[in-house]
Amino acid sequence: MEFKDFSLLVQDTKVSGFVDGLERGELLGSKCETCGKIQYPPRSDCPDCFGTEFGWVCVTGTGRLLSYTTVFVTPEHFTPDLSRTAPCSSYAYQPSPVGIVEMDNGLRVMGWIRGIPADAIQVGMRLEPRPEVLRDGRATVILAEERTE
Amino acid sequence: MGKVGIIGVGQGRFGIRSDASLRELAFEAVKACLEDADIPLADVESMIVSVASDELSFALQPTAQVVDYLGFHPKPSFRVEAACASGSMAVRAGWMNIASGLADLVLVVGAEKMTEVPTSMATEVLGRAGDFLWEYPFGMTFPGYYAMIARAHMAKYGTTQEQLAAVAVKNHHYGAMNPYAHMQKEITLEKAMNSFMVADPLKLYDCCLISDGAAAILLASEKMAKRLSKDPIWMSGLGLGTGSLALAHRDDLTTLGATVEAADQAYEMAGIDAKQIDVAVVHDCFTIAEIVAYEDLGFCPRGEGGPWVEDRQTYIGGETPVNVDGGLKSKGHPIGTTGVSMAVEIAKQLRGEADPGRQVQGAEIGLSHNVGGNGQHSAVHVFSRS
Repeated sequence: MEFKDFSLLVQDTKVSGFVDGLERGELLGSKCETCGKIQYPPRSDCPDCFGTEFGWVCVTGTGRLLSYTTVFVTPEHFTPDLSRTAPCSSYAYQPSPVGIVEMDNGLRVMGWIRGIPADAIQVGMRLEPRPEVLRDGRATVILAEERTE
Repeated sequence: MGKVGIIGVGQGRFGIRSDASLRELAFEAVKACLEDADIPLADVESMIVSVASDELSFALQPTAQVVDYLGFHPKPSFRVEAACASGSMAVRAGWMNIASGLADLVLVVGAEKMTEVPTSMATEVLGRAGDFLWEYPFGMTFPGYYAMIARAHMAKYGTTQEQLAAVAVKNHHYGAMNPYAHMQKEITLEKAMNSFMVADPLKLYDCCLISDGAAAILLASEKMAKRLSKDPIWMSGLGLGTGSLALAHRDDLTTLGATVEAADQAYEMAGIDAKQIDVAVVHDCFTIAEIVAYEDLGFCPRGEGGPWVEDRQTYIGGETPVNVDGGLKSKGHPIGTTGVSMAVEIAKQLRGEADPGRQVQGAEIGLSHNVGGNGQHSAVHVFSRS
């Protein structure tokens, strides 16, 4: 979801290129130019060698789902605006599951779990983290079944 | 380095306290504490105050309200903060204040007013205590984070939703006997199991309450404690650990490394092991958090926290009674207050002054465990009669 609109602080960091990557269809991590440590989410400063020069690396492939949840009681920022629904009508809000996958190289990626029925999600299943540009133009990270193309 | 003792404790009623302001809540607790110690505020040399949230109180330095209302100025006072572990940080800062020799008599106060904002906003403020840059944008809330911990624990160890609910049933059982508790009523396993989903697999009764309330303890140097009190409770071990901001960065989602670290430090300092704890209060912000705490604190083997509560090992009469004050679940969780309230409860237990029906008979050694955020901070304190 909405990194660009919601998490404005990402724009104001030294790793703001992450958002541009999402829009190009690339999920970007960082690689320390000094010691080579690869990290996701990307960070400009290396906690191992304190190096401050970094380059971008694409996070690709699938990872193992470590855990997931579906948040039904939402924070204010995510609360659906029901004030515009027609009088006497209602709809059931269906939140999206969220999960964390561990890539084979140890990187962890959080994302919305997309395209899998909630009761079919299982810890340990393999999912592919990838960028997704939503219909309204905002970019986010999703976890989905591996593309077979 | 001399010992530091608790020579007075007090707290006000937890709940939706629309009848009182932050400063008035704190006053209730301080008054009770000073009366318990039978010492005037004029004798207190320094005061540490914990209020966790500027956002919930809509003010910077909310603790200044407390200090002013008590008329404590111009004596030294400062605020400490570590989200839901703020109270234990205040206790720790109080201990340090005395151990360093800066003061001999220090008042530690925790106060929080959480219900002045809608639940959705409190949920947002609390959720942003996690990694607001990289995890909060996925709609993560505090229940959401602990739901992921629960899901991982269930997948790894076979922990069940019934076992989670058993924690809630126990804590409400004891909370019903605590006149200061927010929700003084028992619940059934069925009621807990049938409550609505907050963040799958955590249901309403897996979650602690959003509460207002305050607590205070009076700490004294060894010399002062022996002179002023006939029944001081000593702080014999302190431990403090930290953990990653992002949940995704934890090596293992089924444990809080910060708690393991803090427990190691506290046990070593006190010269005890987990089996010697007679009574404990642990950070049950969610039922899964209590189960993980049993394991991280060494009360039961790893992975066996679910069966442990089902076997009633954490009821009075079991191996280690846990949260017999109702815990965060039933007593309530005014976030900046909780750690101080934990010290109040353990001191009362060790003095043999807990409420009828929930006193652990002959308790000599007690423990408090207080987590900030979803494991960014964890404080473990060991208290003893001798």
